Amino acid sequence: MDPQTRDELLKLFGSKLNEAMRLYLETCTRCGVCTEACHVYASMGQTRYIAVHRAEVVRRIYKKYFKARGKIWPSVGEAKELNEAALQELNEAAYSCTGCRRCMVYCPFGIDTQMLMSIAKLLLIGAHAEPEILSLLADTSIEKGKSIELFKENFLEGIKRLEAEVVKKWRTEAGEAAIPIAVEGADLLYVALAGAHSIIPAAAGFNAAGEKWTLSFFEAVNFGAFVGDPTKTKLILERIVDEAKRLKVKEVCICECGTAYRVMKQLSGKQPFKVSSITEVHARYLREGRIKVDKTKFKGPVTYHDPCQIARNGGVIDAPRYILSHLTDDYRESAPDARYNWCCGGGGGLVALGEDTLDFRMKSAKVKVDQVKSTGAAILATACENCHTQLSNLNDHYKMEVDVLFLSSMVADALVR
Amino acid sequence: MDNVIYFIMIPMVYLSFGVFFFGTTVRLIRIFQGPKHPSTLQIYPQKKPAWLYALYDTFLFPTVRKHKPLLWVFLIIFHLCLLLLIIGHLELFSEIAIIQVIPHEVFLGAGYVGLFSLIALLYFLFRRFRSPVRELSVPEDYYLLILLFLIVIFGSQMDWARRWYGYSSIDVEHYRAYLSSLLYLKPELPAELSGMGHSFMLVIHVFLANLFLIFFPFSQTMHSFLALPINKLRRG
Repeated sequence: MDPQTRDELLKLFGSKLNEAMRLYLETCTRCGVCTEACHVYASMGQTRYIAVHRAEVVRRIYKKYFKARGKIWPSVGEAKELNEAALQELNEAAYSCTGCRRCMVYCPFGIDTQMLMSIAKLLLIGAHAEPEILSLLADTSIEKGKSIELFKENFLEGIKRLEAEVVKKWRTEAGEAAIPIAVEGADLLYVALAGAHSIIPAAAGFNAAGEKWTLSFFEAVNFGAFVGDPTKTKLILERIVDEAKRLKVKEVCICECGTAYRVMKQLSGKQPFKVSSITEVHARYLREGRIKVDKTKFKGPVTYHDPCQIARNGGVIDAPRYILSHLTDDYRESAPDARYNWCCGGGGGLVALGEDTLDFRMKSAKVKVDQVKSTGAAILATACENCHTQLSNLNDHYKMEVDVLFLSSMVADALVR
Repeated sequence: MDNVIYFIMIPMVYLSFGVFFFGTTVRLIRIFQGPKHPSTLQIYPQKKPAWLYALYDTFLFPTVRKHKPLLWVFLIIFHLCLLLLIIGHLELFSEIAIIQVIPHEVFLGAGYVGLFSLIALLYFLFRRFRSPVRELSVPEDYYLLILLFLIVIFGSQMDWARRWYGYSSIDVEHYRAYLSSLLYLKPELPAELSGMGHSFMLVIHVFLANLFLIFFPFSQTMHSFLALPINKLRRG
């Protein structure tokens, strides 16, 4: 690596050094309490997948270039040069970490490995060594935000075709749009994913509840966050914030996408609207009696997979359980404490990388499979697109023989008047 | 040799404390003057008041108790002993009435505090020789534990000699004369503390402690100051 590239990468590293990041970089005692926390280590048993080992890959570069002793006595902390080999290590560490933050529950200090991996991801972007597909997807999202008029007509046509499907689930009053779009003054802006499965059940639920809602032109997923690019993350987020402000909505409801929910909830700052997940909204409708569901619709025991970014990292823990208490009498917890629910193994952009990561995803999530099997459930519900894809892949690979269902779809399918 | 002993016992002590205070302050300023993270970094479910739970996490290590109970036992023993040893050293400056509510001979713990610290330190050291902690450790982790072990053993043997073997060539008043003279910037080294006999153990103890203080701001021991704010981040 030439000195100029290294200097540029170190500048990027320096840009990440806020108070929290320095605390995470300075505090570790390498006690090893986090050893059993990571699903990858628990499934594959290799030391390089222990949270502190990943963190040290970043920390050793920090010691070398940002601490005096890295110059005076580098070997005492095994400080490392930033070079091609280090970039390879950063890649392995960052893209085998799903950012589930389960290790934070174990660490006596609460060190956030996902934060440390965000440095690794940023350095990889700087060195043009990040997974290209994630950057491309992020760029596409940003481009769509810039030139919405180009996409508008196709989008509206596509949505029109979905309305009949929504009406099959819940008949709206004559003259009312089953999927309202660009309604200024609506109470709720729903931000879906690019796919009918993310729009139809949610629309049926909103219509059943008599919600004054409107559908966002943008998809919720934030590929900027997956690839670890703070600028792109913000640009993708701002498209939705601007739309919500333009339509003067009181609430932005994010579809079943963990990263989209966490980014919107925690990074949008103080806004004139509140941010909710579709799961919270459905729980609210049930609590207020605005929708009713048929408890006999789903047969067999049901368990729930807590998407990490929604539960442990987003705080939506009780709402899905409340919904499921209306959908089944045989609900089975997979972990006694939601904080300890295993990650599905698909987060951090791994599912978005598709077939390239499939083998690793299957091997690294064996503990999740064991956890689901131990419940004896016939239905595995979840509330995140990534988790759903990964759990479906695991279901096929390990022959778990469960139905992997979106929670919002379960609600929509069980709606009764 | 007298000059070496004098250097270790007086100028080096000032130098070490200087590096410790200056280095620690600069490092803390460096860390806390950085911009705040724009979003919460907490883990849910949230428990309130967050600051109280952060204190609980910092001082009682509940996650270690849950996941590594044996390590937790030794951590609690070690940190309690450390607290008692700090109190004991403060009592070597002058008598502290409030601590004498429990009447005791300096140090608290009748010599067992040092002994338990050593056992805990040996445990910490030996667990680093086993996989996977071995692969996770860096030289600093071993050096610090070895250094602490040596500091405690040389310090403790002076306490043990006085209490358990009646070897009383140095008593508390000699320490108080020495340490208070350092504190009031009129350094004096009583002859009882600077000889080549038993008191040489004290010189080694002070030398190693000086090294520890110099290394402190640049090592993982900074967790003493950082554990609370970092735990607060997790609690929100």
